[in-house]
Amino acid sequence: MTTTRCVVALGWLLASAAPALAQESPSVGRVKVSTGAAFVTHQNGQRIAAQVGQLLVESDALTTGADGRMGVTLSDETRISLGPNTEARLDRFVYAPAEGNLAFVLRVVRGLAIYVSGRIAKLSPDAVRIETPVAIVGVRGTHIAIRVDSQ
Amino acid sequence: MRLWIIVLIATALAPACAQRRIPAASRGQATIVLLPDPESGALGSATVSNTRGTVGLSAAREATTAAATRPPAPARVMTDSEVQTVFGGVLSAQPPPPLHFVVYFRFESDDLADESRQSIPDVLRQIAARSFPDVTVVGHTDTTGERAANFQLGLDRAMRVRRLLVEAGLDASLIEVISHGETDLLVPTPDETSEPRNRRVEIAVR
Repeated sequence: MTTTRCVVALGWLLASAAPALAQESPSVGRVKVSTGAAFVTHQNGQRIAAQVGQLLVESDALTTGADGRMGVTLSDETRISLGPNTEARLDRFVYAPAEGNLAFVLRVVRGLAIYVSGRIAKLSPDAVRIETPVAIVGVRGTHIAIRVDSQ
Repeated sequence: MRLWIIVLIATALAPACAQRRIPAASRGQATIVLLPDPESGALGSATVSNTRGTVGLSAAREATTAAATRPPAPARVMTDSEVQTVFGGVLSAQPPPPLHFVVYFRFESDDLADESRQSIPDVLRQIAARSFPDVTVVGHTDTTGERAANFQLGLDRAMRVRRLLVEAGLDASLIEVISHGETDLLVPTPDETSEPRNRRVEIAVR
């Protein structure tokens, strides 16, 4: 009886905490390399200079200036590096292998980007997509370089 | 009279032509290159698609160029120096590859097996040499004993490794601890089987 009550109370606590937890997006990776002008822009428009060690969340935009370069590692071991004058967005990143939820969409808007696949690609190759303004890249491993010229 | 008609037609067509042109020019083009894996040298594959067509890439340094108004160009192989010229700077910004280690444990215990006791200082050194190493520590057991007890034993083993990492100076907030108990065997065995290679902790470092 006491146990049942405990379980119910715990369930209620978790349920009431869920919305609060959902508001804080879980980190999906970290900046590992940053030189020159390099920035992370959150979905709400807040722009931060990219520091080594900075955490990233889903839908963050990564941008570099004329002298900028950036390298990030995501939590499934995917690695992305960006050259100068580049803009890319972590449009979608879902890594919950225990629940079978896997998705990764990288959008390269302009500039130079290199992708090295991680566990999402290993576990579910169809779950990985790189989008550019003019074409979509389906990746079946492992190492892809992309250049997007806007003119 | 004839001139008037031509002028009228030209005036009517001009906006349509302009509208068709401008988006195409500003949307530009993309070049996609398939490279061998930076660590293993293994080759994957990729497909490049737009509304006009699809091109597959499957050879080393095979590339295609796509634009909005036409199908991706037939694949061609770039030379190594072409790749270096275009992407050399980006390659140099690639984060270090992930590291993976496995350490083994004594029977029914969270004490390291002797050979792993010897290798652990080197493991700790390699991890500590990274800046902001995100570490995932996953504990496993063999199939001896109850499932629930093995989940706990896997957790104890992972926590033991976590403690060693923190003692070596690693920030505890960078370490994620997981137990898979007896549910993810390295060497498949029937239930109630003692198997040293299954009594392990896997360490993944990003």
